[in-house]
This record gives sequence, C-alpha cells and structure tokens, in this order.
Amino acid sequence: MSVPVSQMWTVATYVLGQRLRGNTRYPLVLMLEPLFRCNLACAGCGKIQYPGHVLRKHLSVEQCLAAVEECGAPMVSIPGGEPLMYPEIGRLVKELVARRKYVYLCTNAILLKEKLEAGLFTPSKYLSFSVHMDGLKQEHDEAVCRDGVFDQAVEGMKEALRRGFRVTTNTTLFDNASPIRMQMFFDEMMDLGVEGMMLSPGYSYSKAPDQEHFLRRQKTNELFSKMLENPKKRWKFNQSPLFLQFLMGKQDFECTPWGNPTYNLFGWQRPCYLLQEGYAPTFKELMETTRWEEYGRRSGNDKCQDCMVHCGHEPTAVNHTFTSWKGFRDTVAATVTGRL
Amino acid sequence: MSEEKSLEGWTPEISDAATLAEVVDRAFDYRGDVTVVLQDGRELIGYLFNRNRDVAEPFVQMFEREGSGPSSIPYARIRAIRFTGKDTAAGNSYAAWLRGKEAAKAASSPPGA
Repeated sequence: MSVPVSQMWTVATYVLGQRLRGNTRYPLVLMLEPLFRCNLACAGCGKIQYPGHVLRKHLSVEQCLAAVEECGAPMVSIPGGEPLMYPEIGRLVKELVARRKYVYLCTNAILLKEKLEAGLFTPSKYLSFSVHMDGLKQEHDEAVCRDGVFDQAVEGMKEALRRGFRVTTNTTLFDNASPIRMQMFFDEMMDLGVEGMMLSPGYSYSKAPDQEHFLRRQKTNELFSKMLENPKKRWKFNQSPLFLQFLMGKQDFECTPWGNPTYNLFGWQRPCYLLQEGYAPTFKELMETTRWEEYGRRSGNDKCQDCMVHCGHEPTAVNHTFTSWKGFRDTVAATVTGRL
Repeated sequence: MSEEKSLEGWTPEISDAATLAEVVDRAFDYRGDVTVVLQDGRELIGYLFNRNRDVAEPFVQMFEREGSGPSSIPYARIRAIRFTGKDTAAGNSYAAWLRGKEAAKAASSPPGA
C-alpha cells in the first residue's frame, strides 16, 4: 500500500481520538464539490445532469472552507464536476493545505498541464492529484465518451510528477472490465510513476446515461478476485487493503454513509455521496437528522443492496483497522506481504 | 439510459391521485427546471433541489433560473408544479456516443473491408 506514513498517522490519531471521545459517527473524508460543471460527460456519471444556470454556479472559497471547518474530517476530496474548472481552485487548495488537510483533487486531468504551467499549485505532502483513469487507453476513452482523453491525462500526470507533485489514480470499474487488461493498466500506471491507485466499482446512478454496465455484488467479488488474486509487489494502492479484500469477497463490511459526507451547492447531501435524498443546511443537522438506519445493505434498502463503493465502505475498513486487533493485524499483514 | 419515461412537459393537477407531496417528490427527482405556481398566482421558474417534509412547516428549495436563490417556499404556498424545463438526464448519450463511434469507424474503413 502506498499511503504516506504521515497521512496514516493523521488518520489513525483522528480515528482513535474520536473513539476515545465516545463518537461512533464521525467523518473521515469530506467530499467537497465546489461545482457541477465538467468538460466531459462520462457514461457512468450521474453528477452533472443539471440545467445550465445550475452548472454555471459554484461555491465560494469561503463557503468551502466553512464546510471544511464544520465537518472536521482530516482528508478532503475535491470531485465535482471538474475541479480544475473551478475559478478559485488554486486559492482553495492553498487554504486547505495551510490547514493541514490531506487533499485529493479528483480530476480528469484534461486541464492539468495547463494549470500546472500557470503556477496554480505548489507541491506538498498534503496535496495529491487523483486522476480519473478507467483503464487502458481504449477502455478509458470509451468510459469518458471521448477519444484522446487518456493521452491528455497521461501528459498531465507526467507533468505533475516531473514537478514533484503526488499523483494517484482513481478507477471506476464496470461489468465489462477485463481482469487481464486491468492488470496491464496497473503496470502502465506504475511505469508512469504514480504513487498509488484507487479502485472502486461504479454505482448505478439513476441519472447516469449508461445503466447496463454497473456491477452487481457477486460480479464485483469475481472481478476483483481475478484482478488482485496474485498482486504484483510493484502495484501500489492508495487505499485500505481491507477495502480491497472486501471487494474480493474476503471481508464483510456494512456501509458507513456518514464516513464521506458530501457538501455542494445544495448543502449537505443526504445520506451519502451517491444517493440524493435531500439536503441539510449544516453538517450538524445532517448528522443528527438523517435516518441512518434506513441505509446500508442490512437496512434492506434496495438502493444499497449492490453498492460496494469506496465512499461508504472504505471508512468502514479504515475504522476496522484502527478499532480492532483483527483489523489492525489484517492490515499490517497485507501491507507487509503485499498479499490481499 | 433508464427506460423510465421523462416527466418533461408534465403538468399534473394536484388532487387525490397526485398529491402535492408526491408531485414535489417527482420535481425533486427531476433534473430540469420546473415552474412553481404559487397560491397567489405568481410563477417561479427554476431548479427545485430540495424538499423537507420532516419539519413543522414543510418547504421546498430552489435556484431560480434568472440567478437568484436559493429560496425556500412552504408547501402551503404552492398551488401547482409544472415540469417545464428540459430534462437534462433524458436522452441516450452513451448509446449516441457508441453509435457515432461505430459510424466514424465505418466511414474510415476502406470499401469492401
């Protein structure tokens, strides 16, 4: 696994601190969406289908920082929309780094080289560009519905790496993924020099244009088992090994929907990053008034039955690591041996 | 794309068959602008992004098309909701992209290939 020690330490002390205070529900990663606008329209994305006047709006930096302070999570992920289209992305990232938040700027990297050349960002252990890469060139360009995006992303990643930035990848997998092709993709990303890769099965957004290729639970287990059965030592994953084991069917985790709370133009999204069942005006109200018992697989909620997405299950895996001996032992074993 | 029919153009009458709460829920789920007709006859056009029935005075929230908002409107002030804006989630863009790609491939293939 490739998460830097300082980041692991920050997360570990944060989780243990929450437990010592008796908090059972706390956020781990704030999903901060400053805008919905994007320069792509990917087949599996249900995030950007809004009228033009909504797409033209964005949060102010002050609104973003207030949400970060209110939430208190040690990590901030900035998806969207395409965050590099956010006019104040440079200032926002600078402010977050100054607050010692670990920032994952989730980008398709089409604009990355241009923004780096414009001097918008400074390398920091707190900042990682998390580049959306859904596989090798053919698969990625198909997933994002535009030819040439893979090459643009690689160019942006190379430039970021050359300038000393942390670069990771985030990959969403659908049921047409080939385990062998994905293993070739892992090799290619490692050859590029990325710090680590993040994987997740896609979620069947009701608003996504392509509804046919979302993974069901058993297929997810089969795909990830084939892909990761004998992982090469050189493959580095920037995520919890227990979460990867969960995707392979070796762990059974329930969803932690409050683990990655989402803040955007509409407020604090209930109950999670994927489902939009309403908005709360404050984080406190989100935590106190959302009927959490109605979500997760065991609740029986249809929308949660096939979901194995990172935003709900990786927080469970992380909590398991830092709050149980078995979780800690399994994590250490996977980290040391590289076996999942 | 989901087989569900788009609500674009729907102008429901608020009645026992389609209660205000049900129509509000459909408007909340709709990815296009709606026209909210108030009890005093005024009409607000915009994107309805939230509703809350778990409070003493249930309300909806919307960003108006001309740029203002978010504004909150109590259910009690709403006479009707019309689904007047384009449904941005409708249309088969993935299939359209695949069709376009196939057409481009066919066009670039040598004759008889």
